[in-house]
Amino acid sequence: MAEGAPCIEVAGFVFRVTGLAAPDRAWVAERFAPFVSRRVPTVTVAVAATERYRRGRVARPLATWRNGHFSLASHPSRATGDLAGRRVRFRVGPGPALNPDLFRMLCGLLLARAGGVLLHASAVVVRGRAWVFSGPSGSGKTTIAQLAGIRPVLNDETIALRPGPRAYSAHATPFYGSGGPGMARANRRAPLGGLCFLRKAERFSHRRLSPAETVARAFPEVMLPKRDPRVAAELLGALAALAERTPAYELAFAPRAELWEYLDGLD
Amino acid sequence: MDWTEMDWAEAFPRRRSMPWRTLDTEALVVDVKSGLLYPLNSVGARIWELCDGARSVDDIVGVVAGEFAAPEATIRADTVEFIERLADAKLVSVERRRKGESR
Repeated sequence: MAEGAPCIEVAGFVFRVTGLAAPDRAWVAERFAPFVSRRVPTVTVAVAATERYRRGRVARPLATWRNGHFSLASHPSRATGDLAGRRVRFRVGPGPALNPDLFRMLCGLLLARAGGVLLHASAVVVRGRAWVFSGPSGSGKTTIAQLAGIRPVLNDETIALRPGPRAYSAHATPFYGSGGPGMARANRRAPLGGLCFLRKAERFSHRRLSPAETVARAFPEVMLPKRDPRVAAELLGALAALAERTPAYELAFAPRAELWEYLDGLD
Repeated sequence: MDWTEMDWAEAFPRRRSMPWRTLDTEALVVDVKSGLLYPLNSVGARIWELCDGARSVDDIVGVVAGEFAAPEATIRADTVEFIERLADAKLVSVERRRKGESR
């Protein structure tokens, strides 16, 4: 094992990050501190600085895969990898040693291959089960996380959902939102209790969604570029399976702590 | 696109690059160029399934009229409008046939 290479665990994947100079290793260890792991790595991420960084038009984020090989792009960094060999090569431009956007994209891709999804969502654990709250920016994900009180918060921006033999689990991730690093202070997970797609309102109300409606709401919130047909097909399948096994709701909520009492009453 | 000249004998096959699947009676279609997902209700999902390139608009109207309880004129108008919208969104392509050409 490369000496001093930090290992980071996200949603059951353990990434060993090699190729970093000492200051960058320290940065990674600090940035991802709650997710540093001593478990056996499952994926090796070899980081290499690009020799040249060209200014110019910023390309859109991209995720593609074919024949077991994949490529990801999140300006100014790129990654290519081999799923069977469990090796990924990051080529990074100026910026953080382990580009968080690209790393998040890698997590999203591996999750999709495992039948899960990385969702633009917050999650709070209530009586041992995770309520996941999804929606576009401004819909209230961080607001709900900030209303959690003593209830554990998995994250305010990015939640990993993975299928298990009996139920899905919701996992914390290190990719926090406007709530800051405090929203990703522990690498927790909990059985998935339900999905809520948010809109702010004066009063609480909800509507149970059909599986097709659930997929339609969740698809835009999956944190992976969807312009590759194979990636899109994989995501459709993962979301369909999730939607068929998980209760989902459209939830109109007022930003008050009564939210938790209201959720207790959902069918 | 102006569809006033649509020929009901034309076929409008689904574009092959569109990932899609059905859930219960509804369909979900992804336009990978835009990254958008289009949910289709049960009637729309059935029309989408029938856009296989082998069936003309007339054929599709005939199948849908036999499966859904509504006057044929209504079904024809709704089917044509729906296929026009699919074509405008470039989810189906237009397959024009020369006169006398059989499938």
